[in-house]
Amino acid sequence: MKGRFSWFNATSITLGFAFLYIPILLLVIFSFNESKLVTVWAGWSTKWYSSLLQNQGLKDAAWVTIRVAVVSATVATVLGTLAAITLVRMGRFRGRTLFSGMIFAPLVMPDVITGLSLLLVFVALGIDRGFWTITLAHITFTMCYAAVVVQARLQDFDKSVEEAAMDLGATPVGTFFQVTLPIIAPSVISAWLLAFTLSLDDLVIASFTTGPGATTLPMKIYSQVRLGVTPEINAISTILVGIVTVGVLSAAYFTKRQTERAERERRKAFGAAG
Amino acid sequence: MAVATAQPPANAPSQQRAGPRTAAPQSGFAPWKNPSLPPIVRFENITKRFDDFVAVNNVTLDIYEKEFFALLGPSGCGKSTLLRMLAGFERPTEGKIIVAGQDITELPPYERPVNMMFQSYALFPHMTVEGNIGFGLRQEGMPKDKLAERVDEAMGMLELRQFAKRKPNQLSGGQQQRVALARAIAKKPRIVLLDEPLGALDKKLRQQAQFELMRIQETTGTTFIIVTHDQEEAMTVASRIAVMEKGVLVQVATPGDIYENPKTRYIAGFIGDVNIFEGTVSKVAEGCIEIEGKDGYKFKTRSTEAVTVGQSVCLALRPEKIRIGREKPATDLNVIPGKVEDIGYLGSISHYHVRTAPGERITALRANAAHAVEQSITWEDGVWLDWPVDAGVVLAG
Repeated sequence: MKGRFSWFNATSITLGFAFLYIPILLLVIFSFNESKLVTVWAGWSTKWYSSLLQNQGLKDAAWVTIRVAVVSATVATVLGTLAAITLVRMGRFRGRTLFSGMIFAPLVMPDVITGLSLLLVFVALGIDRGFWTITLAHITFTMCYAAVVVQARLQDFDKSVEEAAMDLGATPVGTFFQVTLPIIAPSVISAWLLAFTLSLDDLVIASFTTGPGATTLPMKIYSQVRLGVTPEINAISTILVGIVTVGVLSAAYFTKRQTERAERERRKAFGAAG
Repeated sequence: MAVATAQPPANAPSQQRAGPRTAAPQSGFAPWKNPSLPPIVRFENITKRFDDFVAVNNVTLDIYEKEFFALLGPSGCGKSTLLRMLAGFERPTEGKIIVAGQDITELPPYERPVNMMFQSYALFPHMTVEGNIGFGLRQEGMPKDKLAERVDEAMGMLELRQFAKRKPNQLSGGQQQRVALARAIAKKPRIVLLDEPLGALDKKLRQQAQFELMRIQETTGTTFIIVTHDQEEAMTVASRIAVMEKGVLVQVATPGDIYENPKTRYIAGFIGDVNIFEGTVSKVAEGCIEIEGKDGYKFKTRSTEAVTVGQSVCLALRPEKIRIGREKPATDLNVIPGKVEDIGYLGSISHYHVRTAPGERITALRANAAHAVEQSITWEDGVWLDWPVDAGVVLAG
């Protein structure tokens, strides 16, 4: 098939991208608006960004969000990596299908249900809701994403490399830290970035599991918007969009670099054979 | 002892290469004939089942110190499984594995005195050549200076010093293969296992690598156990070969013995080319029997097998043992007339495919050393084939 230009393709692509990105673009542009009225353009200004710095409520929320995201992404990546290794390396153990199903179910579970069920658990166990309950909830739902990312890498990983390490005297733990982890490191990093990004922009699950004193940024924004959109919200949203974009792009970059390296190795191997 | 064995040119025919090897450097090396010598590896009634599939079926096998032992067979015959059980990656369903007098059946791979070279090389992609070779020594906690010395020694042995700082993906296939071998010998294990070590190399490189393997094995005095499906490779490198078929050991013998006295029709066909004549025993005499061929020919041949008159047998004949000529030989013994159907000219030798009157196809092989007059056998020529009494091997069924 030749990539020939056609008006139909060009139009549909333009419309598609416009639909996806014009709202975000508008948000970014209006965050630099001089006017207090969100819909009226009154010239360029960065004053909403500086007023953001004075807004203690938003700053607190941002700080909570970042702490939740860092802690939950780290724990989720560790757990997700372990789950992926179990799935790929342990062979066919009893209940493997059930195990993998249960790890991946949260991927398709509606946030409302995840949030509600977690809330019920926390209430039933009598846990005070706040920072740690949000973090636990985020670990639960980001772990499956981390597991998927790491599992994909482990699947095209030559198992005999690990066997060679053990054959040369490395214990299973030594093999993991000296051989497996360095090789899958890029996918572990992208898993972390993905989990971090997901935690950063979650509103639903955080709303269910939060308690007094622990308001995340998305929750803060949502509650403020109900009282009317201010350009300040536009500014903080623009920053969020920026962080998420950087996170997703770096995750994609690490994954791509890894695939390229795997591909190079494969080509090399075939080149040697042929 | 001189380290370097004279290396014949890589393009010499395999039969010539196999010859001096078994005769020259290791003549008199036959620990398997010494009943008082304990084997270094003993497989005792080893069976391995994967669900319903029996990969290895009741194998008992002794391998001796300093042997270069080959496990030979087609893919799926269980040879790799046997090797992996020795390395500790698979656990036998039944039986015991004893190394140097110690039962290692239950030991994990990292506590066994063996090191393996993998078919895929399995180099650590994030480590340099040095790092790869030193990996096993680092696990032992060897001091840094001693470690560097040992790594250097292994690199020297395989001419890898100039690549010390490179990563595996910056090396060619042949170089990667040498790194894998250096890594397997760096710990100076008592036994080195090689799982199809040269499978990924092209033919020319493979022949060089075979001689390198032999050189390393002889200089280090280590026991090597190689798994291969390439009979020529096994014949070239090994002191003894175990031929496996469907999980069972069919024959364990020296390359010469396996070639000259194959135990079954399968081995005769698997190792080298062979002509098979089916027939029934018509007469049994002292060390010699007569076979009446299916097509009415009468063959006289030596036989060490105990056969009785009327038994159906096969006569296996190697192509190079059959004389081919345009003149009818003076003798009537084992003579068949035929017509040349095809000639495979291989330079130093030629294969002649001869069709007999009853329609059988026989391959005869002749070195192209003779004078032009003798050379003049060509397509559609009527020829005579004959062979001496001791040329063939009688196989049951």
